[in-house]
Amino acid sequence: MITSDEQVRAFVGAHDRLHVRGMGSKPALHQVDAPILDMSALRGIVEYQPQEFTLTVRAGTPLREVVAALAEQGQYLPFDPLLPESASIGGTVASNLSGSRRHRFGGVRDFVLGAAIVDGTAQGYTVGGKVVKNAAGFDLTKFLVGSLGNYAILTELTFKVFPDVPRFRSLRFTYATLAEALEASYDINRSRFELDALDILPGADGAVLQARLGGFSETLPARVQRFSDFVTTTTAPQHVEVIKDELSIWDCVGDLDGACLAKVTLAPRQLLALDAAIDGAKRRYTLAGNIGFVACEDASWLGDVLARLGLRGLLLRGQARSPLLGAPLENVLAARVKATLDPLGKLV
Amino acid sequence: MNRSFVDALGGIYPGNRLLTRDVELLPYESDALTAFQTKPGAVVLPENDAEIIATVRLCHEHSVPFVARGSGTSLSGGSLPIADGLTIALNRLNRIKVIDPQQRIAIVEPGVVNLHISQAAQPYGLYYAPDPSSQSICTIGGNIAFNSGGAHCLKYGMTSNHVLGMKVVLADGSLTEFGSESLDGCGIGPDLIGLFVGSEGLFGIALELTLRLLPLPELYRTVLAAFDDLGQAGDAVSQVVASGLLPGAIEIMDRLAIRAAETVGANYPDAEALLIVELEGEAPQVEAEFAQLRELIERSGAFEIRSAQSEDERARIWKGRKSAFSAVGRLSPDYIVQDGVVPRSRLGEALQQIDAMKRRYGLEVANVFHAGDGNLHPLILFDGREDGALHKAEALAGEILAMCVKLGGSITGEHGVGVEKRDYMPAMFSEAELDVMLALRKAIDPREIANRGKMFPGGEAPALTMQGMHPLERQGVISRE
Repeated sequence: MITSDEQVRAFVGAHDRLHVRGMGSKPALHQVDAPILDMSALRGIVEYQPQEFTLTVRAGTPLREVVAALAEQGQYLPFDPLLPESASIGGTVASNLSGSRRHRFGGVRDFVLGAAIVDGTAQGYTVGGKVVKNAAGFDLTKFLVGSLGNYAILTELTFKVFPDVPRFRSLRFTYATLAEALEASYDINRSRFELDALDILPGADGAVLQARLGGFSETLPARVQRFSDFVTTTTAPQHVEVIKDELSIWDCVGDLDGACLAKVTLAPRQLLALDAAIDGAKRRYTLAGNIGFVACEDASWLGDVLARLGLRGLLLRGQARSPLLGAPLENVLAARVKATLDPLGKLV
Repeated sequence: MNRSFVDALGGIYPGNRLLTRDVELLPYESDALTAFQTKPGAVVLPENDAEIIATVRLCHEHSVPFVARGSGTSLSGGSLPIADGLTIALNRLNRIKVIDPQQRIAIVEPGVVNLHISQAAQPYGLYYAPDPSSQSICTIGGNIAFNSGGAHCLKYGMTSNHVLGMKVVLADGSLTEFGSESLDGCGIGPDLIGLFVGSEGLFGIALELTLRLLPLPELYRTVLAAFDDLGQAGDAVSQVVASGLLPGAIEIMDRLAIRAAETVGANYPDAEALLIVELEGEAPQVEAEFAQLRELIERSGAFEIRSAQSEDERARIWKGRKSAFSAVGRLSPDYIVQDGVVPRSRLGEALQQIDAMKRRYGLEVANVFHAGDGNLHPLILFDGREDGALHKAEALAGEILAMCVKLGGSITGEHGVGVEKRDYMPAMFSEAELDVMLALRKAIDPREIANRGKMFPGGEAPALTMQGMHPLERQGVISRE
């Protein structure tokens, strides 16, 4: 059982190839034939200073522990980690996965301040800092967001956290077509309404825009009304509904059952083409159409579709040779970082 | 400078865009950190990507070090020329190629002035959030290199948080692109944007940037509170933060900084400390937050509270703060701006220590800081005409940085390491950490030609001189308003 950075270093030193895994909540990331470095016992909150808006945790800590500790102080991780019930914090950072609430302030990269890491040469060191603002040295912490454990192993992470708001309201706007819903999302996303989330849900019969507002109890009803009036006037939805704000309606992958599940990064302008190509798959778009989650039966089919459209996806569940789907990711800058941090190519 | 190299540059640039005569090189001798001055071997003024790429490849081939430069507003000597090296001035690459209000992005060249992006986006109700005090002249390329901040970083982050995609030429001439037009940026795979932004020009030159734009807030509520005691102002910040409010900006100025601001007609109250707090967002929410904020500040011991009732009044409150650096120049012939960070809860302790240090050194220090994120800007006043005064001021600045690291903070919040703070890097990073950064630099730029002499300790030291303001500042061409 790995419970310290020293043990991580020893493991790296003792193996020619290895693969890092947290709590294994995204099985498609772990279809690798290599010894597994299990990080799930390297857990616990190292330092939490609500007054500083900073939190330092060991990488294997379950998200639910982190989320609960923050909630006790009325704070939250604004990047809204995906799979909060089953994932670890380190795995969330290494795969760069956020839920719908990332809409308000940004993604993982925007809230990670520093890290302790072990590289492919078994050397351990810290990168970044523990204060909310720091511009010294190269920002390797950000680089490691989304790096899938292929460049270095995250052992400890420091985040910027924010105060959460006390109340939420959710609304649904129904449109006759996805194109109309997308147009409406453009108008909403550039408006002065500060939404907590804005998802696009395509359906057999048109599409739904699902929006969430958060704030003080006393002002929220008036804000919801103002927002609803704005959307109705500006975008003429077929139907408007204020719905009960349950956590389940904001679980952006909760309804996406199927053998495979993937995240897709896209520009909203590419949404209609993508959606037409994956018609039949279960899907939902978060961040006003800038991120897609797609469930389907065949990952290679999805990979081909994404490659044809010049898009990239990350397979979270399902069988595939590589979890990286679609357009190739090779990059000369990334290759040079790899050659520096993991010259023997141990981390796979 | 090597004749064959200059001849080869002549094959890329017409004579009027290849500067080699002393008189032409003079304006490029330093940046906003005027204590350092070095004459470059030559300056080129590219007008397109192809010229930049050809220039970088030529530098690599001849092993000639180069510095990419925008408006030269770096406060850490980040764009200081390299003796006998090439300065690549990017100001002519100032096209805003795309403002896409639907996707809320802008695509720009590196020489575009920061504020011009917000001005171009303004008709669509959008703006570019990072707002360094020099935003009316500094270029986005420089902001990228140094991950510039500003007064509004607490809520919306620094430059890095607003970059979605980049095209760059690495120092060995390789071309690469990363990120996308998605608000998810790199999204899948390592965050190369995060690595490149803030690399201080040591990896190469950004040719094109895709930036995130934000909707202009519907309402700003700006409060100015005056205190008899700096500690009280600091306590007020703690109370604001503990209350669960998330202001866009929280700033503090001390007595000397307030006095300096008076020279630009800020019309601030006569106080030991001023606190500026700004809320922004949807009108009904901001009004409710504002009521809560007023109550907090009224209880915090402030003897005078002013709330901006109009955009005009808001601008007046900010004018004194944003002009503080240059205003200090009117109180003292010379000064050094520092940029350390401490954990917010240790701000009071840090200020006490600075106070003790300045007494020990017999120097005046004006304090201006982004209190919300613990980012201090002590301005150390001195007279460069006095023998040893600059070195004394530098020594005090060094002690302040050492203190920031000791308190768990950083040697730089937003100005970068540059030339100025490179010798303090070992105070913040272990040898192993510095070795990795250096190895990374060498992997990306094997000849170490891109912005050589910056960020890493040691290296060839430029001459430290003190001749007052930047040559262009003296001529009134640039300012640090």
